[in-house]
Amino acid sequence: MLEFYEPQADYGTPESTSTELVTLSIDGVEVTVPEGTSVMRAAAESGVKIPRLCATDQLKSFGSCRVCLVEIEGRRGFPASCTTTVEAGMEVKTQSDEIGKLRRNVMELYISDHPLDCLTCPTNGDCELQDTAGELGLRSVRYGFEGENHLVAEKDESNPYFTFDPSKCIVCSRCVRACEEVQGTFALTIDGRGFESKVSASQAEDFMDSECVSCGACVNACPTATLTEKSIIEVGKPEHSVTTTCAYCGVGCSFKAEMKGNQMVRMTPYKDGKANEGHACVKGRFAFGYATHKDRITVPMIRDSIDDPWKEVSWEEAVTYTAKRFKDIQSQYGRTSIGAISSSRCTNEEVYLVQKMVRAGFGNNNIDTCARVCHSPTGFGLKTTLGESAGTQTFASVADADVVVVMGANPTEAHPVFGSRLKRRLREGAKLIVIDPRKIELVSSPHITADYHLPVRPGTNVTILNALAHVVVNEGLEARDYIEERCDVPEFEKWLAFIGDQRHSPENTESITGVPAADLRAAARLYATGGNGAIFYGLGVTEHSQGSTAVMGIANLAMLTGNIGRDGVGVNPLRGQNNVQGSCDMGSFPHELPGYRHISDSATRELFEGEWGVSLDSEPGLRIPNMFDAALDGDFKGLYCQGEDIAQSDPNTQHVEAALRSIECLVVQDIFLNETAKFAHVFLPGASFLEKDGTFTNAERRISRVRKAMPPLSGKADWEGTMALANALGCEMNYSHPSEIMDEIARLTPTFNGVSYDKLEQLGSIQWPCNDNTPEGTPIMHIDEFVRGKGFFAMTEYVPTTERANRKFPLLLTTGRILSQYNVGAQTRRTDNSEWHGEDLLEIHPHDAEERGINHGDWVGINSRVGDTVLRADVTERVKPGVVYTTFHHPVSGANVITTDNSDWATNCPEYKVTAVQLSKVTEPSNWQARQKSFDKQQQGLLQQGLLQDARS
Amino acid sequence: MSESKIERLVSMINQIALNMSANGDDQMVADQVAQHLEKFWSPPMKNLITEQPSDADLGLSPIAQIAVQNLLVMQDAKQV
Repeated sequence: MLEFYEPQADYGTPESTSTELVTLSIDGVEVTVPEGTSVMRAAAESGVKIPRLCATDQLKSFGSCRVCLVEIEGRRGFPASCTTTVEAGMEVKTQSDEIGKLRRNVMELYISDHPLDCLTCPTNGDCELQDTAGELGLRSVRYGFEGENHLVAEKDESNPYFTFDPSKCIVCSRCVRACEEVQGTFALTIDGRGFESKVSASQAEDFMDSECVSCGACVNACPTATLTEKSIIEVGKPEHSVTTTCAYCGVGCSFKAEMKGNQMVRMTPYKDGKANEGHACVKGRFAFGYATHKDRITVPMIRDSIDDPWKEVSWEEAVTYTAKRFKDIQSQYGRTSIGAISSSRCTNEEVYLVQKMVRAGFGNNNIDTCARVCHSPTGFGLKTTLGESAGTQTFASVADADVVVVMGANPTEAHPVFGSRLKRRLREGAKLIVIDPRKIELVSSPHITADYHLPVRPGTNVTILNALAHVVVNEGLEARDYIEERCDVPEFEKWLAFIGDQRHSPENTESITGVPAADLRAAARLYATGGNGAIFYGLGVTEHSQGSTAVMGIANLAMLTGNIGRDGVGVNPLRGQNNVQGSCDMGSFPHELPGYRHISDSATRELFEGEWGVSLDSEPGLRIPNMFDAALDGDFKGLYCQGEDIAQSDPNTQHVEAALRSIECLVVQDIFLNETAKFAHVFLPGASFLEKDGTFTNAERRISRVRKAMPPLSGKADWEGTMALANALGCEMNYSHPSEIMDEIARLTPTFNGVSYDKLEQLGSIQWPCNDNTPEGTPIMHIDEFVRGKGFFAMTEYVPTTERANRKFPLLLTTGRILSQYNVGAQTRRTDNSEWHGEDLLEIHPHDAEERGINHGDWVGINSRVGDTVLRADVTERVKPGVVYTTFHHPVSGANVITTDNSDWATNCPEYKVTAVQLSKVTEPSNWQARQKSFDKQQQGLLQQGLLQDARS
Repeated sequence: MSESKIERLVSMINQIALNMSANGDDQMVADQVAQHLEKFWSPPMKNLITEQPSDADLGLSPIAQIAVQNLLVMQDAKQV
């Protein structure tokens, strides 16, 4: 849907949520609004715009600019309409000669200290100061421009994405308040008083050196050109926009992709987007440059061997070549010798087509997805206990939480827009329990201190969860009525006997977890008795050999305390990638058809067989690690990998590389020649999220539209590429638009029965289940009963990982993410975000560093049982002694060279979070890093050779 | 058929059995382990483990051993 560029509507002050209504008169027209609404907003809702400068509906009213003055019958003076709330019978006048004069006087003062360079100003035509001067009819400034002023104040251009030009600042504090109220970072302040007042980042530092996290909230809030995107300065105002969904993390923020023709100019967070409500982070807001980066490969390529140069070919030749090789492999090695990996970065429709091609075209169920290596335990654990493989809440529901548990997640880095929402609630007084080996930002940040930080030893989450449940039971704090009404009581009684055992007591588990018993007891009491308790968890829970057990432990705890089935509570998995939820929903696991229905269920299979016109295999296919093992065993010879970089993201890199080398036909569909593509024989050019239509489903089960903002650079969106390959294989697909694919999904999937593109246009987004029972979707799940009927308390025996520290490997390595980079970094490394994080570092506690003679910045060799790599040391107390930590955003880091093959017992999700290692100071890269560098050079050379040959011919 | 392939499967079954060990008595746990394998493992993996000689010392835990026998029964039942 193309929309001509228009700034988003701004009602001046936030919406009141009161259910009580008040009627008043504005300029003689009767208006009815919720109690607590400002006069300014009431006027805006009735179609009257009161001029303003310091007010915006994203922030609480402030009342500093004095431009929004009105007259109110019976009141003295001219109250500010932004800070005056409506009253029944109030009679408001927004325009009069006297009001006009007062407003112009105020504007004159502002303009007397403002450069009058409107025609050459980057925000010309998109500036609230300019608009307001126009609205007020300001024609002259009596004070002249010769007096003391700020016109020569120096610009701060340190941030790669926006500039700060104090000469244009009117000191309205909108940026400062946005940083506080919306983002919650408190990086900005007003320094000085009176005429000296100025916006200052941290302690009068450059933005880049300050605590600013570059979320862009200040830029959105600025009513002048003071804070302006560099892209706007460079190319000017956009001319149209397309509403779409961010392709980074699982929050699923809604954005206006603002365009000039096919050129992306700016991403602006969409105020009506229900996941983000107008907020963004540095990735979604600014890091879109990768989409048109020079490294993009936009033409299909093939080669017979990975030692050959690539050859550019047409789409037709590429898919015909692939189909022939896949068919040859199947005839030589059997039907199950090929498979595919779908992507959580692609749309629901694309993921659906990949699994359809595998099941209907390949004739097997060898389809898996990257959720295997992140949230597969969530699917297993929540399905077992609650009956549905999904989170229970909306993000907005955290506003009603009284006690928040954050476990194995780092929302301010990995899910920043939700992190800001959470911080807001915490500043309002909600209590916080953090369960994490590291001292994450939420443990202590401006105006937020966790009530309890339980610094769990990596690998002992299940023990912590059992101990928390033990305390609740032991101290009689369980929600008996809720359990008796909602849960399977005989199973609960069995579980009660298990959890009541003294071996689970905090005192007896302290030596295992490293968490003081008193803190654990206090945290359990707080969660059980503090009101609405909401649990948010991430990969620090799932990526363990007991990941599924831990997820079930979380669900047990929530049911035990009655904390599922209403606003403000729940079990909330924070999904890493944008469409992890959707890729799982769409049948990407080898044992399940879309909607989490087992492939052995003949009724479900028949439904799909009827629609697809083929007979389906009733047995589960291979999971990703099984595919690698089978490849090394010589049984698995062909793989289609769409939008994932398994060579970088999966554990035990050397094992993965050996498996990829043994595959006879590896097809990679991606926007870049990623690490996996270096082992490929066919490269199908992928499309960025800006180049296609479709839907993503975020961690709240919210299905949102992805809309094409520019044509696909390769000529095909990913769903079209898959369709071409399927057709070449003889698996007929004839969709003309992704909406037709969604219609098919809806026909075949009970939880999606009511979903359509028309309804998405109408409602904006839909949280599944959406069907005849819940035609507008389901924001909160399990309200009256659990999806499985009665809630199931699963036994959660703690089985320690076999990956243990010993004398040879005395430290435990755990891994995670940081704010500016995303996953394997393929996208964000190709943006200016690398200015914040140019390399992965190894965090080490000062005691461990001192013991090994390691100083901050030293090169450190990290050896595990499976491999070794070298990273630079970051000596910090964020980690506790005995634990080291790194990220995996850069391929050269080889973070996964050292992670092991250990995996979750139920789902084979890798145990990324626990690797026993030893460290030593070194002076050169590891052997693997040297090999990686040389292999990368060879592959880049083969790419260039291919491109040169094609150019010559 | 490499030895490591079998070892890998044996280690996976033992891990599943250990993690389910609190679910009930040995027979119940073995049943649940077998159902888990049936539900999530691909046929080549199931076949490889069930085709091993019944007297072979694969290193399966006692419960895992019963689970594999149960899996074999389940597979045979499907053939009927």
